[in-house]
Amino acid sequence: MKSKMNFLLLEYAINAILRRGKKNIFILLIFSMLVFLLSSVLFISDSIKLELNSVVKSLPEITLQRFVAGKQSDVSLSRAEELLSIEGVKSAIPRIWGYYYFKVAGVNFSVVGIDAFEDQYKESLQKIVDSVDVGVLEKNSGMIVGEGVKKVLEENYYKDFFNFVTAEGKWKKVTIAGVFSSDISLEANDMILLPKNTAYEIFGMDKKMATDIVVKVSNPKEIPMIVSKINLLFPDMRAITKDDIRVSYQNIFDYKSGFFLSLFLICAFTFFIIIYDKTSGLSSQEKKEIGILKAVGWSMDDIIKEKFYESFIISFCAFIMGLCAALFFVYFLQAPLLRDIFMGYSKLKPDFILPFSFNVEMLCLLFLLSVPIYIAATLIPSWKASTLDADEVMR
Amino acid sequence: MTLTPEIIAILMLDALFLFFALIAFVLSLRILFKWDIRSTQPLQYALEKQSYLVSVIIKYIFVLKLPLFLFYIFTCNKLSNIITGAMCASGVVNSVDFGLYLMVFKIINLYLFGFWLLLNNADMKDELSPFVRMKFLFFVIAFIPLLLEIILEISFFASLNISKIVSCCGTLFSLTSASYLSLLFKVDSSLLVGLFYFFGLMVLLGYILKNIPVFIFANLMYVLFSLIALIVFFSTYVYELPTHHCPFCLLQQEYYGVGYLLYISLFVGTFYGFCGGILEMVTHKGHTKFFKISLFFNAFYLGLVSLYPVAYYLKNGVWL
Amino acid sequence: MIKLSHIHKIFTQGNTEVVALSDISLHVKDGEFTVLKGASGSGKSTVLSLIAGLSRPSSGEVLVEGKAISKLPDNFSALFRRENIGFIFQKYNLIPTLSVRDNIILPLIPQNPSEEVLTHSVNHVMEKFSIAHKADMLVKNLSGGEQQRVAIARALINKPKIILADEPTANLDAKLSNELIAILKQLKEENTTIIVATHDPLFFDLDFVDAQVEMKNGKIV
Ligand SMILES: Nc1ncnc2c1ncn2[C@@H]1O[C@H](COP(=O)(O)OP(=O)(O)OP(=O)(O)O)[C@@H](O)[C@H]1O
Ligand SMILES: [Mg+2]
Repeated sequence: MKSKMNFLLLEYAINAILRRGKKNIFILLIFSMLVFLLSSVLFISDSIKLELNSVVKSLPEITLQRFVAGKQSDVSLSRAEELLSIEGVKSAIPRIWGYYYFKVAGVNFSVVGIDAFEDQYKESLQKIVDSVDVGVLEKNSGMIVGEGVKKVLEENYYKDFFNFVTAEGKWKKVTIAGVFSSDISLEANDMILLPKNTAYEIFGMDKKMATDIVVKVSNPKEIPMIVSKINLLFPDMRAITKDDIRVSYQNIFDYKSGFFLSLFLICAFTFFIIIYDKTSGLSSQEKKEIGILKAVGWSMDDIIKEKFYESFIISFCAFIMGLCAALFFVYFLQAPLLRDIFMGYSKLKPDFILPFSFNVEMLCLLFLLSVPIYIAATLIPSWKASTLDADEVMR
Repeated sequence: MTLTPEIIAILMLDALFLFFALIAFVLSLRILFKWDIRSTQPLQYALEKQSYLVSVIIKYIFVLKLPLFLFYIFTCNKLSNIITGAMCASGVVNSVDFGLYLMVFKIINLYLFGFWLLLNNADMKDELSPFVRMKFLFFVIAFIPLLLEIILEISFFASLNISKIVSCCGTLFSLTSASYLSLLFKVDSSLLVGLFYFFGLMVLLGYILKNIPVFIFANLMYVLFSLIALIVFFSTYVYELPTHHCPFCLLQQEYYGVGYLLYISLFVGTFYGFCGGILEMVTHKGHTKFFKISLFFNAFYLGLVSLYPVAYYLKNGVWL
Repeated sequence: MIKLSHIHKIFTQGNTEVVALSDISLHVKDGEFTVLKGASGSGKSTVLSLIAGLSRPSSGEVLVEGKAISKLPDNFSALFRRENIGFIFQKYNLIPTLSVRDNIILPLIPQNPSEEVLTHSVNHVMEKFSIAHKADMLVKNLSGGEQQRVAIARALINKPKIILADEPTANLDAKLSNELIAILKQLKEENTTIIVATHDPLFFDLDFVDAQVEMKNGKIV
């Protein structure tokens, strides 16, 4: 049983597949299509997850939001000072930011207020801020925008300035002083950076307030401790930790790919039936062949083995084909059509590039989801074939 | 209920296993009751053919179950990322009351199905098919733990609650743990480690004396005490942390997947020792090849696991 | 040695039973050449397939080379067939879309021989039956006579002790039939046990035939 690989049998199996080319090409194509869809969906979701994770990594450890009557409301700047007194808190940075709805294009920009003398709450932002002179921005009433924003504005004939409508309903003209591209394209794409004063004006906020406060801690293991202390100090504030965000992201995407996978299961079941049908319907020529093989001394085991080789070769080829096609489709062509369904982001978002993410675990997962189904569908037909009476050949 | 792609893959394969195992079960029952090797009736010929289907099905299940076991642990490891509190697979496994039983059933089933294949092999090598009844009776019995495993697995994933906070391996494998695992830590670890080496020696002795019952017993105890000694003693040297006892973290990449090497060699070693020994008692035929494999892998495990404390001592001049 | 004792073979098709053989006893010694004759449907092919272990009797026992082939499990009867029995069929029964060489090696595949053994045996039989020059041609492109030789080469590649031929000349013209008979004669001289099932009168008065057995309606007369 545990003899070495029988290459003659393998060769025979390959020959047998080629001899029944039409039937097998049909099966090969459907199966690789199935693998292709499955891998594409999983690649896209994995890739987006990777992108989001890198976003999450750069997020502050704790974000504090104030809730009044169940709605998020502004936080007084003085609280940032008080937070610093909690042991383990490295910094507490108030943020002024919000969404600005650009009605004409029907998109949301995220508007972030920046300050020359303050540390930014994350590195990528800091880099952008370092590269511009916030003082000059302030003087000229300028802003710098993400590439996606720039594109949308240009489409609407705003070449070098933009008119915000402030909370008081007045026009506020802001010139575009620069464009940034960020390596973390997913969120930077729709971002507008402008001086804090301008942001206060657009949002109509009190200058003693901030949208929320981000807290950095020296030791990540202390986070639960610090959160409980903050809760004591400010019962009206809700702390969102990095971990919370990571888990909710992961959930959303597992849920979405779970949904697609359930669809896949239905396809797979249908496929199971098709394969079963195709492989159990033997032509008289095939029956005769099995009779010949038995007459020349093949056992049932040999025939089952040969059939197994056949189905393994077909499913493995289809697996590789589908996989390569999916790799090409997702990472080279950037998954046209499919990614739109999958992401459901605003128009701005799809501009980012799906980062390459492929590993052994993914390979195992895809393999386990596809090849065993094929083999399973051929188990009973192969056995049936091996039990055929050999006296077919005697007539 | 969370449906990650990994969970769907496992559940789908479970459904396939269930479907095929049911077919095999029904056929096995038929064979068990109707088999008559001297009969020349069409029924007997049909049964002979069906017995091939059963063995094809069992081979299919076993061959997939081996990698699937590793995949299950990998899935739990991955789930530990989204379950609060869990740092590795052990937190996930223990997040549901019967998680540990599921694990135990999974391992037992690997031994059972592997043994079936050995028995089948021995049966097929004999013109008289002397073990037909035995192997189908064995499958009819082994079907129950398989069924239990599948039911447990489905309910395990169904009741997995990602918002529930679970304990991490640090508390599970410690003196303070509420489970009976904590009992282990009350016993002097040198006694447990001593027993581990003792049964290791006993395996060798059983082999030299060619005493099959001793060999089987020694292998059984060896696998038990290997795991216990690994948890209470050896794992701390792998992690180089006196308080870290988790048997799952060994599988993580930081330790170069040494866990896979350890567990696979332990499984192969004790499988051939235990199941090969029983096979020899049943068939009354020599299976020295199995015993050699068993001895080799058991010794490999023992050597590898002992290497860690020794290396630690040489490096730091003290024991943990 | 081939020994059939009190063989019955009944085919059931739905509710109807066809008695193909009833109480057949036959003894063929090693190296004997036996001709099974009888009208169509008399059960000749059924006897051959029982001897080869391709089908099993409804009652009775088939002993071949001292082994009760009808009682062997499938993998052993296949092994036995592979090592001891060569089949020559009425319609050649080759796989038309495989090459000559691939058809001839079919009986060797399950035992997974080394490349040298394989090449040696296949070249040996191909030369013996002078088809080596067509080794890589597809069988369907060969003439009838060549196909016949391929079929014989395949039957003989394992150097079987027993040759079973089921109406080997039914599709051959007189010249090819005589060639085949010459080959069978040579095999007989090499001490091969041969059973030919046929109603071709060509076989009835050959000088090297040891026994002629006539069948009628599933019985030996
Ligand atoms: N698989 C089968 N199912 C049902 N009946 C069968 C089967 N095989 C053979 N028979 C019947 O058994 C009888 C003997 O058939 P067999 O093929 O042995 O005859 P034969 O002597 O070889 O005839 P021919 O000269 O035509 O080849 C026939 O009546 C045939 O119909
Ligand atoms: Mg006939």
